[in-house]
Amino acid sequence: MTDLWPRLEPLLASAERPARYLNHEFGCVYKPEAGFRFCMMYPDTYELGQANQALRILVNVVNAVDGMVAERAFLPAAEFCDTMRAEGLPLFSIESCAPVAEFDAIGITLSHELVATNVLEALDLAGIPLHAQDRGEDDLFVIGGGPCSFNPEPYAPFFDIFNIGEGEEALPECLQAIRRLRAEGACRADILRAIARMDGFYVPSLYRWRDEEQAQQAGSWIEPVEEGLPTHIQKRVFEGFAESPGWEPCIVPFTEVVQDRLNVEVLRGCARGCRFCQAGMMYRPVRERSADNIVNSVVCGLAQTGYDEVSLTSLSSTDHSQIADVLTRLNEQFQGKGVRISVPSQRLDSFGVDMAGLVAGQKKGGLTFAPEAGTQRLRDVINKQVTEDDLFGAVDAAFGAGWRRCKLYFMIGLPTETDDDIKGIASLVQRAYDRAKKAVPVEQRGNIRMSVSCALFVPKAQTPFQWDGQIAPEEALRRVSLLRRSVKYRAIDVHWHDPSTSFVEAVMSRGGRAAAAWVESAWRHGARFDAWTEHFNEQAWRDAAEEVGLDPAAVAQTSYDTGYVMPWEHISTGVSTRFLAHERKKAAAEKTTPDCTFERCAACGACPGLGIDNQLAQPRIAGGSNARPQQAGEEGAAAAVVAEQAVNGQPATGPQTAEEGE
Amino acid sequence: MAEQQTFRMRITFAKQGRLALLSHLEVARAIERAVRRAQLPFAVSQGFSPHMKIAFGAALPVGVGGTHEMVDLQLLRYVRPEEALLALQKESVPDLMVKECVYIEPKAPAASAAFPLSTYRALLSAAPAQLPVPEQVHIIRKKKEKVLDVADFLVGEMLLEGASLTFTLEQKPTGSLRPDKLLAACLDQVNVPDDQEQEVPLAFLVDNAWTQSIEPPADDQPLRVLSMTRIDQRAK
Repeated sequence: MTDLWPRLEPLLASAERPARYLNHEFGCVYKPEAGFRFCMMYPDTYELGQANQALRILVNVVNAVDGMVAERAFLPAAEFCDTMRAEGLPLFSIESCAPVAEFDAIGITLSHELVATNVLEALDLAGIPLHAQDRGEDDLFVIGGGPCSFNPEPYAPFFDIFNIGEGEEALPECLQAIRRLRAEGACRADILRAIARMDGFYVPSLYRWRDEEQAQQAGSWIEPVEEGLPTHIQKRVFEGFAESPGWEPCIVPFTEVVQDRLNVEVLRGCARGCRFCQAGMMYRPVRERSADNIVNSVVCGLAQTGYDEVSLTSLSSTDHSQIADVLTRLNEQFQGKGVRISVPSQRLDSFGVDMAGLVAGQKKGGLTFAPEAGTQRLRDVINKQVTEDDLFGAVDAAFGAGWRRCKLYFMIGLPTETDDDIKGIASLVQRAYDRAKKAVPVEQRGNIRMSVSCALFVPKAQTPFQWDGQIAPEEALRRVSLLRRSVKYRAIDVHWHDPSTSFVEAVMSRGGRAAAAWVESAWRHGARFDAWTEHFNEQAWRDAAEEVGLDPAAVAQTSYDTGYVMPWEHISTGVSTRFLAHERKKAAAEKTTPDCTFERCAACGACPGLGIDNQLAQPRIAGGSNARPQQAGEEGAAAAVVAEQAVNGQPATGPQTAEEGE
Repeated sequence: MAEQQTFRMRITFAKQGRLALLSHLEVARAIERAVRRAQLPFAVSQGFSPHMKIAFGAALPVGVGGTHEMVDLQLLRYVRPEEALLALQKESVPDLMVKECVYIEPKAPAASAAFPLSTYRALLSAAPAQLPVPEQVHIIRKKKEKVLDVADFLVGEMLLEGASLTFTLEQKPTGSLRPDKLLAACLDQVNVPDDQEQEVPLAFLVDNAWTQSIEPPADDQPLRVLSMTRIDQRAK
């Protein structure tokens, strides 16, 4: 491998935060003797990528294979990309400072819809042909994965292989297959043909893309170019997740990254079934690690990394059946050691607040709740099973326990939303504010801060709302201004996300293979780092649409009947399209579907389809409005409590991750 | 609550190689994590947000290494210095290596205040015959320009030996002159921007009588700093 360090070093004198381009971090793995070299790349800067758990997990599983090494690579900051181009320096790996193009394979995690142009920026900077079809025998294999690979088509021409679903076992299998077949003398095309036949892999170059009419008739947009290829690619699940240790080696970065702490994943999957939520469909079934496993993992992880903070991560950590036990034990363990414990959670009720209270210590920053919609009607439509009483119970508990700041998250433009729902947000928040005031001593009421943050609804592939169009950005702004006018209390701040980025997200979420040309053209027009407010280049995306003749508004905004075959029909999360359609119909009827980890099976299809059931450490007990009759006395239930610092780093929420740093 | 009796340990470490590019905060975080990994019985502050009782010596700029950097750590119980050293070395990366642990008096001045004199050694990309020292250095910080008189900070002469340059700066209670800024100002006088005509810069002519002795560095490459290291910190 070429060592680029002598050429990189002189450039670092003028680079901002050069620590992100160095190697030598504590915990780095070097395997110079390895015969097969894999590079795991996060298509954004080190500060964002090094915090990514997929990167850590996949680097570890590949390094565990004999004779294989995994190194990391990140996209340099925008200005430094330009410096490197000007100096003719290609994209390099962190550990060996070796050109990425010299590796045998590169894995790119597609964590949110706004990384697409960064993928092209990275491939180009690395000197790798952008299109899979232009890569030859000497070129490396480009493998994609992560949330966006559940609609891989807008990225399809740029990748040789997509790993659909969890990669703990799948990725090493894929790399071992490449190594074995190469050793046997197979050519690139034959290797791809073989991998396309392995479980959980999609090789887009082996499928012709149909036009709309053909696709609707055939029930699928893809047509295999040869016999024996799967036409339905189901995601892989890491079946050993619950039993596997929550601690695994991790690199301790020098420079501050977005979540600069130990992460221990306590459970995977969430079955609450919010109808807009892709993660809730994508990571089923629900699998919990046991309290013993979690506590041991935290103790071990903190000792081996030297971190002073640990986050118990998952989609809904306070839903863990043993969370109270876990937090109590951790509190005892780390008493007086200056260790902070944070719990990102998706639960809005007094239990959630109690859990946040267990770890907050004396310092109570802010709490974040996500009711998502302003009226009960709309919350029923989206299956967000939270009542006003749940929210008010949480507010009473939080402000009574000493919190003084609270942030409320809502979505604008949800299916069936009317102006009444928008006004309902204002009404709900004002009443929550009144409750907060009552819970706080008179002399401290001046310290109460409440803010509303709204994001534009993005219809996500593989969800019950995949058929629903997004509202136009101008309409979104009208609804935001209606909301601002409706909020009469001056103590309540209203924030909103730029709808033009949400528009690009919607196109990327719903687009077919034709969207790839749009992405490429946008990148050629200068789009990159789209998740960064200061870099988002709306004009580039507009110019690109004109150049390639794509109507992005139609892709983002058209609503379809549930019988319409969407461009990702061939990719499966295990949740059946029939279930998604059924949920969409129940949404129209304003009927909710309970969480199967608390109540009966909702027949989503994931467990039988994937051959694995929910794995809970002990039975879960619902509270509040979701309680079964015998627990009806308990306060509050379901929605979202998030210890504030945790919100900043929520997975797959592009813009927030990049911008927020309060 | 009575203040708990603690043991004050001064840890000396080196910041070198490519890790000279770390910022002071990054170094502080890395050392603190090494202390935690080494499982030393460090003291934790009381109050709102408890943290390790650790105090760093004078900061080094990004890009400047150090052979004897210091940090004071408060321990809740006595650990033999050689044991602490071994434990810390095991948890340190090679270019940020702990070299010595000693106990100091509870009332001894802090590492950040005890050693106002810092001696730096820079390695240049070529060996200039002379390197004139500017009288003033202009610093732009947060869009405000500040002018520092070099004579207020520079102790003795700058010693040029081939491509190696050694000089000592004094840290004042009112502020300090960063060694990298001083050196950059020195080099600015020698290196003429591409778009300007190659002639001896004005500042240089004013300050020095022997202008003709400057040799242009090889290959018309501008003279630059290859590395800079603090080699000594001492009391006045």
